[in-house]
Amino acid sequence: MISLRDVRFEYARGGFSLNVAELAVPSGARAAAIGPSGSGKTTLLNLISGIERPRSGEVSTAGVRVDRLSPAARRSFRITKIGFVFQEFLLLEYLDVLDNILYPYRLHRELRLDASVRSRAHRLASDLGLKSLLDRLPAELSQGERQRVAIARALVTSPTLILADEPTGTLDPATKQQALDLLFEQCEARSTTLLMVTHDHGLLEQFGQIIDVEALGPTEA
Amino acid sequence: MRDSIYLAVRYLRHHRAKTLLLVLSLSVFLGLPLVMRAMSRATQQSLLSRAEATPLLLGKKGSSLDLVVEALYFQLKGVEPITEADVDAIHGTGLALGIPIRTGLMARGFPLVGTSLDYFPFRKLRIAEGRGLAMMGDCVLGSAVSETLGLGSGDALLTSPSTLFDLAGVYPLKLHVVGVLEPAHGPDDEAVFVDVKTAWVAEGLGHGHQDLARAGPDVVLKRQEGTVTANAKLVQYNEITESNVDSFHFHGDPSTYPVSAAIAVPHDEKASILLRGRFVDAPTRQLVRPAQVVDSLNKQIFRFERVLQIVMWTVGLATAVMFVLVMVLSWRLRAEELRTMTRLGCSRWKVAQIMGAEIALMVGASILTAGVFGILMAQYGEAWLQNLILRGS
Repeated sequence: MISLRDVRFEYARGGFSLNVAELAVPSGARAAAIGPSGSGKTTLLNLISGIERPRSGEVSTAGVRVDRLSPAARRSFRITKIGFVFQEFLLLEYLDVLDNILYPYRLHRELRLDASVRSRAHRLASDLGLKSLLDRLPAELSQGERQRVAIARALVTSPTLILADEPTGTLDPATKQQALDLLFEQCEARSTTLLMVTHDHGLLEQFGQIIDVEALGPTEA
Repeated sequence: MRDSIYLAVRYLRHHRAKTLLLVLSLSVFLGLPLVMRAMSRATQQSLLSRAEATPLLLGKKGSSLDLVVEALYFQLKGVEPITEADVDAIHGTGLALGIPIRTGLMARGFPLVGTSLDYFPFRKLRIAEGRGLAMMGDCVLGSAVSETLGLGSGDALLTSPSTLFDLAGVYPLKLHVVGVLEPAHGPDDEAVFVDVKTAWVAEGLGHGHQDLARAGPDVVLKRQEGTVTANAKLVQYNEITESNVDSFHFHGDPSTYPVSAAIAVPHDEKASILLRGRFVDAPTRQLVRPAQVVDSLNKQIFRFERVLQIVMWTVGLATAVMFVLVMVLSWRLRAEELRTMTRLGCSRWKVAQIMGAEIALMVGASILTAGVFGILMAQYGEAWLQNLILRGS
């Protein structure tokens, strides 16, 4: 599912580089990426999703050599194959819950917003306990509810991979476990691969694969 | 594109106060200079066309602009009057037709204009309802007066007292509305026309009362050598009717009675030149060409308008800068949102499209608002601006 080999990456402005000798995450796996701040966890997600391009090496995601794609093709790949869940949720304050869930469909012409998509969004909202909140604005939701909207938005395009960047970082323990359970449940139901960045070592036993980013290869700061 | 517009609409609706403020600012920026320019042009043209339709105007020496404004546009400027004899003198030259204009009184907020029957064909005014002036006490209403006051032929209209708290002053005269003029789209629409003698009666220069020859001793104080002195019991008429019209009279020589101005309509160009020649050195009179007077007024307005345009464009520029600043600040505040878009897979072009749609919608709404504003101003603004110019002149 995810495969990185001999990857060397550094930001154009310098100061940070990430080297990955070899990394493989099988399809349908539930993986956690750990490491101290600044170790390159987010950069790893960016490489896998094609937001960043490595200087050398191979990055293969869902059977596609992402590093060889043009910027336009990487964007198209990203929005159709990958779902993102961010730490700050990053919902749009001016869109209601339903529109936030359907947001990816407003951003790329390869995604067509039709009746079946709307029906899928309603189903997802129902599964995630958001059915009665569809016309609410994010400001009217609790943290846990916002996180559930963010999960629904990541899943609505039926991606093959979910990349979650510390999605439970701002939640209280009870809500955190609830959100994780929902995320796991939805990924398992759809056989979707999950790669989640976390600082919380207490959660690691729930993952089938742990990736220590610091151990992937020599990192220079 | 549909999705970009959808997102833009949702964003603008969510921030409706900011959007409204920007749209209004842009509307003013876009609309006001153009509307003011168009209105000013239309007003100047309207003023000039009436002045051009009035060949010559005779009045007391003084401000020619005040004379034209009062006699042509019926805006009271308190011009010193000439006399009926001056109107007769114009006739007497055999060079022109003289039409008296007596202004100064009002009737329920509209100017009362005393004139002669020649005025109506001269201004090409036609009766829409009723008939023209036939006897003293009749009045003909301009179309706007009739519409505003809801009066038509058969109704009555009181002149406004010139000295409201002076009990010894002139009492209002009850006028009979005998006709309403067709709309002329000018000052004639907003005037009440009477015969010049009726205007004098309304001013208190002529009056009617019960027959003193038949008055009893309770009214008559003294009869001596054909002069009768009556007390305050004498019945004074405040309405001219067929039965009392003969009792109305003027003391003294009516040729000395005041008129505000006289329109002189020369028979031809040669007559016009000759007539103007006769008044070149007149010590107390001036014979002006209203078109020249209004033209000089228009030149002043044009100069003022240019200054106003510079001010407006400066304000407009400041508004545009403010708009750009607000948009740039807004985008900076939305940096996280824009970053999320690109991380999800949205192209920079699409981001630009969404932002562009927001600007386009606001500019579109501003143009629409400016258009509606322009239409409203075209509908009502010309009269308002004309009024403003004439009152301020």
